[in-house]
Amino acid sequence: MIGRKELILFILKRVIFSFFVIIGTIIIIFFISHVLSKNPAALWAGPKAKASTIAYVIKEYGLNKPLYIQLLNFFEGFFTGNFGIDPVTHQPIASEIFYYFPNTIELVLTALIFIIIIGIGLGYISAVHFNSKIDDLIRLLYTTAWATPTFLASILAVLIFTSYIPILPSGGMYSPGLTPPPRITGIFVLDAILTGNFADFIDGLDHLILPAMTLAFLNFGIVTRISRNGILSVKWMPYVKNARAKGVDEKKINRYHILRNGLIESNTVIAVMFGWLVTGTVVVEEIFSWPGIGKFAYSAITSDDYPALIYVVIIFTILVIIANLIADIMYAILDPRIRLGRGTR
Amino acid sequence: MNFRDSANKFFKVIFSNWLSGSGFIIIAIFSIIAILYELLGTRMVPYNPYEINLLNANLPPSSSHWFGTDELGRDIFSRVIAALPIDLGISLFIVIASSFIGLILGIVAGYFRGPIEEVIMRLTDLFLAFPPIIMSMAIAATLGPSLLNAAISVIFVWWPPYVRLVRGNTLQVASQDFITISRVLNTPFRKILFKGILPNIITPLLIYATMDVGTAMLTLSTLGFLGIGIPINTPELGLMSSILTTTFYTYPYEGLIPAAFIFLIVLGFSLTGEGLAELIDPNIRVHIISRKKRAEILQKSKPTTE
Repeated sequence: MIGRKELILFILKRVIFSFFVIIGTIIIIFFISHVLSKNPAALWAGPKAKASTIAYVIKEYGLNKPLYIQLLNFFEGFFTGNFGIDPVTHQPIASEIFYYFPNTIELVLTALIFIIIIGIGLGYISAVHFNSKIDDLIRLLYTTAWATPTFLASILAVLIFTSYIPILPSGGMYSPGLTPPPRITGIFVLDAILTGNFADFIDGLDHLILPAMTLAFLNFGIVTRISRNGILSVKWMPYVKNARAKGVDEKKINRYHILRNGLIESNTVIAVMFGWLVTGTVVVEEIFSWPGIGKFAYSAITSDDYPALIYVVIIFTILVIIANLIADIMYAILDPRIRLGRGTR
Repeated sequence: MNFRDSANKFFKVIFSNWLSGSGFIIIAIFSIIAILYELLGTRMVPYNPYEINLLNANLPPSSSHWFGTDELGRDIFSRVIAALPIDLGISLFIVIASSFIGLILGIVAGYFRGPIEEVIMRLTDLFLAFPPIIMSMAIAATLGPSLLNAAISVIFVWWPPYVRLVRGNTLQVASQDFITISRVLNTPFRKILFKGILPNIITPLLIYATMDVGTAMLTLSTLGFLGIGIPINTPELGLMSSILTTTFYTYPYEGLIPAAFIFLIVLGFSLTGEGLAELIDPNIRVHIISRKKRAEILQKSKPTTE
């Protein structure tokens, strides 16, 4: 049995390490945005900028100062939450990001719920019927889903469910005429419930279902595959045979001996997936005109809004790191062997 | 083992299950077309894929234009064929470059250990944290549009898993007795590398890389679809699909056809990978074989009714 102390120490180590990773990634992003380009000021100001705008940009972002001072300023701005003013929309970048962020979370969490249900369910069915027609069919299904380009799936979903079978709205987060409920969490559906506005809630759900299902369809494959392989890797273990020989109920074997151990990896992949989904929503949000952070990032690129783009990338990176951290910690709690395996490090 | 034997073995493994078998056929067909186009050039296709002819804009599929023409009157069939070597080539380039980075850093980390391993692996962890598509988009936007820049922007986020894979396998091989003995006997590193390490780590790397070509192509075509990093007028399947956003209700086939090609090619790679992964997983492999054998044994032991 591994003590609580060791677990806390492990978590502490991972948290500190993640912090350094965040610092490191910010430095790398800084160098890409300030050094990689031959003329960063022109890039920051946009291609059609006049000389006066470029001069303004150089002054505003301190691009003429020595590099290490720029880096220090960059860090200072970042940790004080002062990301600067968006040159395109003239809004503070930080508040823009925090406006768009909850919308993406809403989309991704809903997709994640679908992914967990479909992914683990199919993985289980597939593993139970290993090497049969059903297994082949499920494997074909998730490989197909995995191979579909995001834009193709999104556009087909819009085409089918809003044009051929017009049952769902084609885009946006709520109907155009609607006044959104007061922002509490920033997540539309949740706010609607919290303020007791049932009609709004239904409207939000109506808009949510298609993009979330599309996102889920594109990404459930990896969960199915990991669940399937995880179950298969314990299915024939001697301890399972032993349990069966002892006369343990088949249901119990399934639940405690096979699923508990076989799905450990699925748990962690879901945590990793969260970070992955959030960063992979650019195309889905663009096509469903979902006002999330991915769409914001894309419009930042197309409108040459370089400063906003840099901060979006940083926020995304931090999110991925946190998701990985959670996955690591979950893995350590669920599977104590991983903490004992010090030999690999 | 000579070349013919290994080729035979390769085909036996590939066609041992229908997933990797059908995937391999799809890849083979598209690769052959791509190579032929590279060799023959525009002679192979009915129209010049770059030629703009506004009089022929938005023609529906017909016997003269198999897939119709796009908004600038370019023949879509010709453009799709011309796009194959570009898409497959860049995806392959991304994967090969990542494999090289992975081999060099992974072997150095896994074989020499010590502080250099710590540095390499922490750096890998850093790069692993970057969100792939957004980061590629940002770099492609920084570097400006060109095919090489698009490739670089994807490679930037693509190599970390390769380092992890190679390092893990190198660790495993390097801890085996034959390597330890070679080291004790002062065998030159070059010899240990080419005779001892590489042959033992190359198979899992090759399989991973094969599966990965499809994923790389998805990312590349997403860049194309978003219109970032890939120069306009390049026949690239993602870029050609981006026409969907404007001609979506009017001429859906103009964008759907290139998108379908991306889907098919990526499907080929992922089917192959799905089949192969099962065959190399030691936990599962034994049960596939034993199941087949069991069926055979059952067949044989059945009493003949006649």
